[in-house]
Amino acid sequence: MVGIKDLGVGIGWRSEIDLTVERLPGVDFVEVVAENLHIGHLPESVTLLLERGVPVLPHAVSLSLGGADPVDLHRVEHLGAVAEAVGAPMVSDHVCFVRAGGLDSGHLMPVPRTRDALDVLVANVELAQANLPVPLALENVAALLEWPDGELSEGQFLAELVERTDCWLLVDVANLYANARNIGTDPERFLDEIPLERLAYVHVAGGEQHGDIYHDTHAHAVLPEVLEVLDELCSRVAPPGVLLERDDNYPSDTEIASELAAIRAVVDKHRG
Amino acid sequence: MATPATERGTRVPPERIGYLADGPGRAAETALARLLDAGLVRVSRDGLVSAVHQGTYDTTTPVEVCILTGLTRPVRFDAVMRNAAKSKEMRDLHDRLRAEGLTRRARPRLAVWWIFLVIGGVLALASLTEPWLLIGTVGFLGSAWWTYGAKPLTRAGRAALEGASTSDRVIAVALEGFRGKVSGRPVGDLFDLPQSVVKTLPRKRKRRGTGGGTASGSAGCGSGCGSSSCGSSCSSGGSSCGGGGGGGCGGGGGGD
Amino acid sequence: MAEIVNENELLVARERLAAQQAELLKALLANGPAPAGFDEQRLGVERRALLSKRRGIVRMLGPAVADELGDRFRPLFDAYAVENPRRAGSRAREDAAAFAEWCRARGELPEKRKARWKFWQSN
Repeated sequence: MVGIKDLGVGIGWRSEIDLTVERLPGVDFVEVVAENLHIGHLPESVTLLLERGVPVLPHAVSLSLGGADPVDLHRVEHLGAVAEAVGAPMVSDHVCFVRAGGLDSGHLMPVPRTRDALDVLVANVELAQANLPVPLALENVAALLEWPDGELSEGQFLAELVERTDCWLLVDVANLYANARNIGTDPERFLDEIPLERLAYVHVAGGEQHGDIYHDTHAHAVLPEVLEVLDELCSRVAPPGVLLERDDNYPSDTEIASELAAIRAVVDKHRG
Repeated sequence: MATPATERGTRVPPERIGYLADGPGRAAETALARLLDAGLVRVSRDGLVSAVHQGTYDTTTPVEVCILTGLTRPVRFDAVMRNAAKSKEMRDLHDRLRAEGLTRRARPRLAVWWIFLVIGGVLALASLTEPWLLIGTVGFLGSAWWTYGAKPLTRAGRAALEGASTSDRVIAVALEGFRGKVSGRPVGDLFDLPQSVVKTLPRKRKRRGTGGGTASGSAGCGSGCGSSSCGSSCSSGGSSCGGGGGGGCGGGGGGD
Repeated sequence: MAEIVNENELLVARERLAAQQAELLKALLANGPAPAGFDEQRLGVERRALLSKRRGIVRMLGPAVADELGDRFRPLFDAYAVENPRRAGSRAREDAAAFAEWCRARGELPEKRKARWKFWQSN
């Protein structure tokens, strides 16, 4: 795809660390949470990064594409408007549901891996795509619980989603690791099953082990095990981009820089 | 990034220089400057100060601890300074400087103190013909002296300030404030702070006098926080937290 | 090739999925009964994780209320949260405001809190 090749290594832009993101060496692209931006007055820092030629990719968290209701077109419209405001080559959201039965979970909930859920997801994704100015990439989420009666593996579910909607994939290796720990997903099988040629980019994030559960907090350091999953992915395909997500408890600039460097080292290892 | 402590010398800690130069507000600025210099806090473009998350914090003064304690969530740049300036820890610093003989109780200075001087002068002239007016002359000159106010710094306090040099960026904040300038360069720039953030602070007062005048303009020094009406502990300083609120995709939450 | 999903079949699929998802969120957010087939312990883990995330957001958006409540913040918020699951379409700020209101109605916060805090919040 034009404009999405060789994004490089990036970081999730957050207002609390805007100056840090601007100063960090080796930030090739950034991602912004679309719901936090207002069209017409972009944050000064985002404008500055755009002026420097740093690609800014909008990432949405509220479309609830895996929800039973038809996707909310106002939210899609906002995402599209953000994409146009920052001149983004693509946008993304998650394979998840956020709202159901009149309630808002406040988080990205996994969908049942059933034919019903897939059909609904496909219909919602198609509706969103028809109303977006740029391609849509979809991300695998981290689950703490497993729906009963799954008919497909997570990899099969995503592969069929791509086949039917022609969407792109945003693979979060930390979420993949979380699912391996929490619900027994096999990362290698997952990577075997998804169409890697449709990989838009990769997310890496930190988390925390709490008893027998791994929490994808985005507020802790990236575990070496998560970098191993990235390594496994890179051994199969050169990802167009890899992005570090941090949402809370921001460490020092040096520590963030070294996490980016560690990610780059894994990516470069396979570039030879 | 951080200035080595040895370079800063062992003379007077920057926060004290800040207090001596311009009272509790400046000392608070200096403490924050020290935390920024040491990479313990960061500031965002929208003017929110947040603590850098790490295991241990290499703080050097109670005021610094007080600022960090109040940063369990981002707080506005100017509010950090206000809260620290009014803190109990700052009152303690005030008391320590007094006890060490660097400051004294300052008499408030009337803005129009010179009127007493003028009247005294006129009376002095008049007393050439009416000698009994001398009594009034002495009275008014006395009033002029009283309302001129006593400088809050003692000789030792002024000496402590003399030795300070703006070559260190933390001391530059102590002497000039974030809104001040050092050799034509805004002090905020030394910390890569956007001017929009620095300007949330109250405008720096104009310096009065020159030549060793580091001690001048320190009227705020004595008036800091003597009374019981201000103060309260640092951590309770409310302040709004701006920012999206939408939250990202992480935060699976640590259970409990 | 992808199968063409008939509109009616899609509607039925939406209804079935809606029921499943609503049942799960009710169990997780509003003390509803555990849906069949789920691991009870994991439901508990998820419930606590969602509650903890929501509590963190409200604490961040309403620091003055959290500070004033001190140690009571957490138990009070947890009680409020189960009684008042977040409605779809509501905003996090509304949640924080509703929690403060709920505390005031129960006498956990003084009525005239606003005037007292104005001083801190003004520039």
